[in-house]
Amino acid sequence: MVLDIFLGILQIVLFPGIVFCIGLTFLLEWIDRKYYADLQNRMGPLYVGWRGILQPFADFIKLMAKEDITPKAADRKMFTATPLFSVVVPLLALLFIPIANITGVLSFQGDLIFILFLTTIVAILIILAGYSSMNRYSSIGAARAGLQLMGYEIPLTLAALTPAMIARSLTITEIVQYQAVAGMSILLFPSMIAFGVFIITLLPELEKIPMDIPEAETELVAGWQTEFSGKKYAFFRLSNNLELLLGAGLAVTLFLGGPYGIEKLPGLTALDLVIQGNIVLSTVWYTVWFLIKTAIVVLVITNLRALFSRYRIDQMVRGAWRYLTPLMIGVTAITMLLSAVAPGLYPVV
Amino acid sequence: MSKLVDWARRSSPWLLHFNSGSCNGCDIEILAALMPRFDLERFGALLKGSPRHADVLVCTGPVTRQQAPRLRRIYEQMPEPKFVMVVGTCGSTGGVFRGCYNNAEGIDNVIPVDVYVPGCPARPEAIALGAVKLLEKLKNAQKQARGEK
Ligand code: SF4
Repeated sequence: MVLDIFLGILQIVLFPGIVFCIGLTFLLEWIDRKYYADLQNRMGPLYVGWRGILQPFADFIKLMAKEDITPKAADRKMFTATPLFSVVVPLLALLFIPIANITGVLSFQGDLIFILFLTTIVAILIILAGYSSMNRYSSIGAARAGLQLMGYEIPLTLAALTPAMIARSLTITEIVQYQAVAGMSILLFPSMIAFGVFIITLLPELEKIPMDIPEAETELVAGWQTEFSGKKYAFFRLSNNLELLLGAGLAVTLFLGGPYGIEKLPGLTALDLVIQGNIVLSTVWYTVWFLIKTAIVVLVITNLRALFSRYRIDQMVRGAWRYLTPLMIGVTAITMLLSAVAPGLYPVV
Repeated sequence: MSKLVDWARRSSPWLLHFNSGSCNGCDIEILAALMPRFDLERFGALLKGSPRHADVLVCTGPVTRQQAPRLRRIYEQMPEPKFVMVVGTCGSTGGVFRGCYNNAEGIDNVIPVDVYVPGCPARPEAIALGAVKLLEKLKNAQKQARGEK
């Protein structure tokens, strides 16, 4: 009993919980920056640790140790609270993602809906952060963030629900187990379109470059983050990285078969049994596969970031409401129709 | 712990670029220093848009009368610890604008400066060297503060 509670706390705090996730975000940011620099023919971080692998960590420590300015006009309570919450909320959502096991640290019936709800909370926190700093640039940035995040929330949610409809379950663990039997849902028909839409909507959700309208440097200084310095800015950066990990992790979990590796291919059942028999081996195996898949998703996002330049506001709004939302409604309808008309298409597990 | 913080400060100097009335020659060279061939990101430098996020203020120009209060305000908006790097001869001494009626003849007449990079315009190599010198200076200051040799 006591041991169980101790192990549970260890899981939440150390592995694969808070400390592991934060370390992983630093690693992913390094991969992102290195690859981005490489695409631009640059070196990227080079001298901090092995090939600059400690760069994101150094950035974080430096920001934590810097002076923390609160402007006189700002709403003090909100200004302090939003950075904290914006770290806590994605961390909480990350506990539901299966990383080292086929279930997350936490899981309950219908937790996919809960995670999607948490991503909306992050959007609201961003708007609050922008308005609480009482800076003109921040307010405009927050208004744009609201426009953008709310617009892309709908296709994102619908895209995340497509594999859930195929697996006939809203529980993340069951969706992962379904994919172990029926194959990655990216290979199933309407779900691959949903995967593409999911990756595209991650860009505006994370405010990455072709969709970084809320923090457009040339127009808005730094958008809604303008007034945040020191620790608060460090928290916002960490929060953005955690969201990147969350988005990539969600894509891996819903579309790429979660932490399962090659052992679910036909003919490798013996390997599967060996892995499932040994708890240490299975933890390492699943974590490594999760890392590989997440890194692939992050590289795809980086590639998109390097390829495109920023869209205009009207193009961004049109992209969400005229193209992606109707497309996703269509995909949802097709999925429903197919699972009703041709039940054999998606095997029942 | 303080060693870790010192290391982090040396490892990630984020830049804020400010033009206080220069001819734009040096500004283009600063951008060249950030581009592929010289790539200041090797040292962890990133170009930031907001003074609240930056550590190093990279200024050019002789500070015209209009820009002086703005330069001071930008400097005051930056959180401690902060450093100033001047790029170009006209930022260091007034250069070709020396003796004009409308400028302060150098950035150090308005805000404290840590590193000067001369040249009209300064070469990107020189700017990269200036950045390294700034980091070295910071390292020595940190050592002195800890009482080491
Ligand atoms: S130093 Fe020369 S090139 Fe540079 S800003 Fe001044 S006048 Fe222009």
